[in-house]
Amino acid sequence: MPDRSETWVVIAAFNEGKVIHDVVAEVVAAGWPVALVDDGSRDNTAEAARMPGVSVLRHRVNLGQGAALQTGIDYALRRGARSIVTFDADGQHNCEDIPALVDALADADVALGSRFLGKQVEGASQRRVAMLKTATAVSNSLSGMKLTDAHCGMRAFRASAAPALRITQDRMAHASELLRKIKTSGLRVVEVPVTVRYTEHSMSKGQGGIQAVRILFDYFFRT
Amino acid sequence: MIIRILLLLGLGAIGFFIFLRRNRLPIHIMTVFLLIAVGAVAVIFPDITQDAANVVGVGRGADLVMYIAIVAVMFVLLHYYTKFVELQRQVTELTRELAILRAEVERVAPPAPGNERAS
Repeated sequence: MPDRSETWVVIAAFNEGKVIHDVVAEVVAAGWPVALVDDGSRDNTAEAARMPGVSVLRHRVNLGQGAALQTGIDYALRRGARSIVTFDADGQHNCEDIPALVDALADADVALGSRFLGKQVEGASQRRVAMLKTATAVSNSLSGMKLTDAHCGMRAFRASAAPALRITQDRMAHASELLRKIKTSGLRVVEVPVTVRYTEHSMSKGQGGIQAVRILFDYFFRT
Repeated sequence: MIIRILLLLGLGAIGFFIFLRRNRLPIHIMTVFLLIAVGAVAVIFPDITQDAANVVGVGRGADLVMYIAIVAVMFVLLHYYTKFVELQRQVTELTRELAILRAEVERVAPPAPGNERAS
């Protein structure tokens, strides 16, 4: 088994005090070093996540998920990470999926988690699945790629790919930005099936229809 | 006419405000005062705007003034929008640097339990 200490798991968290401890503990127990970015939370997210094996980074002000992820990525690279995995803070991802993502980097620069590639989506409503499919279609037409799932928060990439994938979209449009940059930089990309657990909590933090408009605005007018 | 007095007072107030905050380059102040002077002339001698409108092919002087004003306001909005985006980028950069620096410091000298900085 390859050395897990060279793969950093970056988690961006905003007001996740209730669940963040368990999410982080699970990843740490699996042996991955964690860079937890508290994106200006008003609750005890940072304190709840603090434990051996976790580097807690705090944004003094809330900047958005894209900015928080990039902060964690910068820090992980500074600490000598060879590869980076991004992981959602709300407990929707399963850390047993991480090895498959990292293994996929053997012959790819970027590995994207996909909720619709074989594995099942737990607890998602039909409406939500329809919305995700729509988002994927829009995203594919924007990026010119053919992916089964465009906005899964679980991804992995090599440290060497990090400069080309630098996030400048502070808020949610970073997902589309990432795909555009993968496409234009010619990095090799694979999709890896992952399981997503939709809980009542993660659903409440999810993106709705109104936010989609804002994401598109950011994508086109804020670069 | 009352409207002329009101408009001139408004222009005068803007000029006074600029004069109070004269920490910019002289060229900026001069530009602003020039614009105010043009405005004042247009208020005192409205027929000039009518003549200008006839030259460029607009029906009324007031319409010409409004068209120019709309374009000018849009230009100012664009200017501040770019400034705003740039400012946000800088805030992101600074916040990120702070977060990373503090994490590095805490790695070398961990905070005493119960003595963490609340935010």
